[in-house]
Amino acid sequence: MNHYLLLIDRISAWTGKTFAWTVVLLTLIVGYDVTMRYIFNAQTQWGFDLAYILYGILFMMAGAYTLSRNGHVRADMMYRTLRPKTQAWFDLVLYLLFFLPGISALVYAGIDFAHVSWQMREVSSVTSSGVPIYPFKLAIPVAGFLLLLQGFAEIARCIVCIRTGEWPRRLHDVEEEDIDQLKKIISDDPVKGA
Amino acid sequence: MQFRNLLKLEARTIGFGIIGLILLGYLLFLPPPSQITNAHLGMVMLGVIIASILLGFPIAFTLIGLGILFGFVAFGRSGVPLLESPIFDNMVLRTYGVMTTDVIIAVPLFIFMGYIVERSGIIDRLFRSLELAMSAVPGALAVATIATCAMFAAATGIIGAVVTLMGLLVLQPMLKAGYDVRLSTGAIAAGGCLGILIPPSVMLILYGATAGVSVVQLYMGALIPGIMLSCMYVGYVIVRAIINPKLAPRLPVEERNVPFKEIVKMLATSVFPLAFLIAAVLGSILFGVATPTEAAAVGALGAALLAACYGRMSLTRLKESVFLTSRTTAMVCWLLVGSWVFSSTFATLGGQNLLESWVYAADLSPGGFLFFSQLIIFLLGWPLDWTVIIIIFVPIFLPMLPAFGIDPLFFGLLTAINLQTAFLSPPMAMAAYYLKGVAPPHVTLADIFYGMVPFMLLQLAAMILLVLFPAIGMWLPSVFYQ
Repeated sequence: MNHYLLLIDRISAWTGKTFAWTVVLLTLIVGYDVTMRYIFNAQTQWGFDLAYILYGILFMMAGAYTLSRNGHVRADMMYRTLRPKTQAWFDLVLYLLFFLPGISALVYAGIDFAHVSWQMREVSSVTSSGVPIYPFKLAIPVAGFLLLLQGFAEIARCIVCIRTGEWPRRLHDVEEEDIDQLKKIISDDPVKGA
Repeated sequence: MQFRNLLKLEARTIGFGIIGLILLGYLLFLPPPSQITNAHLGMVMLGVIIASILLGFPIAFTLIGLGILFGFVAFGRSGVPLLESPIFDNMVLRTYGVMTTDVIIAVPLFIFMGYIVERSGIIDRLFRSLELAMSAVPGALAVATIATCAMFAAATGIIGAVVTLMGLLVLQPMLKAGYDVRLSTGAIAAGGCLGILIPPSVMLILYGATAGVSVVQLYMGALIPGIMLSCMYVGYVIVRAIINPKLAPRLPVEERNVPFKEIVKMLATSVFPLAFLIAAVLGSILFGVATPTEAAAVGALGAALLAACYGRMSLTRLKESVFLTSRTTAMVCWLLVGSWVFSSTFATLGGQNLLESWVYAADLSPGGFLFFSQLIIFLLGWPLDWTVIIIIFVPIFLPMLPAFGIDPLFFGLLTAINLQTAFLSPPMAMAAYYLKGVAPPHVTLADIFYGMVPFMLLQLAAMILLVLFPAIGMWLPSVFYQ
């Protein structure tokens, strides 16, 4: 069971991390665009289109990855005082009540939306660059599908927790790792001894 | 430990109490099912969202789910078949709207820049050289902490990480130097929250995107209040250290006795390059040379270059920054998707109109409206992340601003300071929990809370100053936009 859950975690993490690199591309393209404008007085047309496409892909595709790391913001002032079993019950009910209908609807509506755009091979209407945006619209159903998959893993985790009384292991616990990383950055510093 | 248990109990009582009150309210005030109008449903929606947020479910999905379910009901009542419900179009168009709003492109870029600066150890150097440069000032370590935080805030727009990082970096040295626990933790927590206000704050970008206010003007407006607040913090620490030197003992002579040349050299290699980067990024935005997006991209490149010059750029560090950026961006932007879907249904139901008619019926003066709206934001700021408040709750007030003659720019600045204040206010203050997570065990949560209170009062004073003299925030934008 846990094997499959970790597999889903891995799929989400892989797609999220792969598309995370769009932020580097975004930085470079916007940087290039500014340079072209000020130094060569020749701003590109496609630069603007590509910028929002990369930004949109970045956050859409990271949705499931962020969910797998429990990174979507929740107001946990009350939640964290509850026993794991109670937490799991709350989560389970709300996943079934809100998450599944909401994200299923997003996938359903997104397929239609992307399909129409794909059929007419839609290009950007923001600038006259002719940058195709139909693959970009595909990001909505794909991201929704990945979220749905990760959502099923989370639901399974809730059920395991209700049965056993403790949360099953995740791919790894980011919060602690993060603090360790920060500690390492500080202790690495060559200036410290000086 | 006991203090903590008490808090736990309180949080639970308050939480379930509010949920109970909402349910009771519905039982008492809702008409029988046959007479329920769409606007009533809108109010139910608002109550359900508050209750489900308190239950601790990821807020973005609560919003999407509620937007869809209530949308079904609203359109279903007028006889539209389920699978053809216009709510599907609404939802996908709102989602696509978030994906194509060009102002928000600056958000991942500023977050990226912030993570590069954070991971590159620039902050570490910054603190150490500021500490040496200021060793003659009373309360040197605390002053250097606040100065470092202010500079870091000007280089990034994220806050939780700053409190954690500064806690790891400076708390131990301060305690070792004999600093008072409360003064030290207070300075770290307060300084770490400056990023909400000081440009290039991500919060102001999101506010600008939802309120339709120019981000550039918001940055201009926030500049002077941000500097003012930092100076108030520094002034407070110095005064405390002069009145009672025991709270902040001077560094031992051998540590203080660094040759002047050495200090200049350290400043030249740490403070000046970062200061130059900040000035370039903010300057180009404020003088209209570049859009926030462009400035953010150049800033991220500059930060990477700076990190490379320090020999601190590696593939691992870059990877960490990239992945953290994607997660933080996804968190913020999915919240936006949820909020836009939710508010679309809320408006369709007429909930927003009903709410507005109630507020107008209360016949408030502009000052009264300002007071109550900010009070609500402050109270929400206890349990909720600032992203949630800016993206979900502030937009409810925004359409009412013109009726009271309040400039949305001014409202945004006030909200930014207000949220900082809420972050420092016990018993829910998030900053305290971030700091407690990295503090040595003998530092209790109660110590941190006591330490934060004076800084919180300074924030309140700053808010009152801004209300009494709006020019503090509005003067700079008015000069540039004549």
